[in-house]
Amino acid sequence: MSATQTAGERELAELIVTALNLEGVAPGDIDPEAPLFKTGLGLDSIDALELALEISKRYGFQLRSDDENNVRIFSSLRSLAAHIATNRVNG
Amino acid sequence: MTTAGVETLPLFLSSEAQRPIAWRRGAPVLLAEFRSHVASVVARLPKPPAPAAMINLCEDRYKFLVAYAAALSVGHTVLLPSSRADQVVADVAAANAGSYRIDDNAVDAALAQPSTDSINERIPADTTVMIGYTSGSTGQPKTFPKLWRTVNGSNARNAQSIRAAIADKTSTVWALATVPPQHMYGMEMSVLLPLLGDMAVHAGRPLFPADIAAALAEIPRPRVLISTPVHLRAIVGSDQQFPEVDAIVSATAPLDQSLAAAVTAKLGGELVEMFGSTETCVFASRLTAGEAQWRLYEGVQLEPRDDGTLVNAPWFVEPVLLQDMVELQPGNRFVVRGRSSDMIEVAGKRASLTDLTKRLLTIPGVQEAAVFQPDADAVGTIRRVAALVVAPTLTAREVLDQLAAGVDSAFLPRPLLIVDSLPRNELGKLPRENLLRALRRE
Repeated sequence: MSATQTAGERELAELIVTALNLEGVAPGDIDPEAPLFKTGLGLDSIDALELALEISKRYGFQLRSDDENNVRIFSSLRSLAAHIATNRVNG
Repeated sequence: MTTAGVETLPLFLSSEAQRPIAWRRGAPVLLAEFRSHVASVVARLPKPPAPAAMINLCEDRYKFLVAYAAALSVGHTVLLPSSRADQVVADVAAANAGSYRIDDNAVDAALAQPSTDSINERIPADTTVMIGYTSGSTGQPKTFPKLWRTVNGSNARNAQSIRAAIADKTSTVWALATVPPQHMYGMEMSVLLPLLGDMAVHAGRPLFPADIAAALAEIPRPRVLISTPVHLRAIVGSDQQFPEVDAIVSATAPLDQSLAAAVTAKLGGELVEMFGSTETCVFASRLTAGEAQWRLYEGVQLEPRDDGTLVNAPWFVEPVLLQDMVELQPGNRFVVRGRSSDMIEVAGKRASLTDLTKRLLTIPGVQEAAVFQPDADAVGTIRRVAALVVAPTLTAREVLDQLAAGVDSAFLPRPLLIVDSLPRNELGKLPRENLLRALRRE
């Protein structure tokens, strides 16, 4: 069984599915603790770029990847949602 | 050491010890220091009669550059797998018995033991300095060997076309690249140019617009951004502020004129688009914001054929057949009129639909498969490939996980739908409209 999504995680899951055209993936079915990239949802760096754009539009801040946090931030829906909650300036 | 009678070409076009070659950890690396780093790596490379082919997996561009120069200096060939997916690297290793791998950790370990040895800087012109691979049929990547004289030929013209776009004609050009050094375009622009041109390169490979802006701000001017339409589109779409750039280079996929103009408006410099392939290296360029035609590098000849275009140049080993269909125009110019339909391109990487289908069919449980590229639903959207798969015992996720071991992530079908049967017509064929209908689940 996958863990339950919080409201913020659900909103981010919907943004991911819409922005990346993940047909056949129901936002509510994304396991918040499963990896987003490679295994898990199977996203790649092209998706990361598109996602970064959508996140900057919706939440008003720019993602950075040039530190060790990158691996942690993108490791799951839960960690990315937490990073957004800390850094968001609008929305 | 060079043997009498063997033509050699220098490892560094400018061997001046105080010239910068890279930007690392917030400071320039001068050639003198770079040489000592190369010597440290040379000291740890396998010695004859051990194999002489390096698979360079370094993520850090500076470490890649050091390892590459070390291989050149001792006459080893560098192998460039089409991606760093495990199976792709394993295929290349299997095809080159006993080749060795080098990565960031191995270079770090070497640099921790400084060497004062001098390195060989005269490279025999006919040394095979690298082999590029494109994904071929399962387990057998196609190979494209490059000689030192070949890459010297195209590199000189790359350096000219970049310098022509920059107002400053004398200072060292500082480059930041968003592409990996293992990709042939990244190799030409961010590895060969620092060795053979008056250019120094940033060690990083920033992804997001905010990362790119921060890395650009680190390096001196004139500065050049080496990138792709995917990254440039993200830059134009973001609210991020950028330091002024003196030129922008793009390749891997065609860039449209409006995006080129928007990039120049945002970053400042002129946009130089490069045309080439793993098979040929770059052989033409254009200033995309103002011209639609490509300008051939001096000496390059194109010959349109039924199945593509034959490309030749004085520095080539032999003519190369590309799948692009071109129309020649006066003044050494040409326009592209399309591509043979089996080859597809996603985010600048090319693959064959036949090959992707074959790879799907090798997965136990997959009975039938069709891979195709749906139309872009909007300008600027990345066109992925889609797949219909008949596999009664598997889920789409299971098929994708197996496929991911051998295929670059850019080509993982999205969506990959498990279907009861392929939508064949009465003749048993798979018309495109049937595939698209099945994709829409009609």
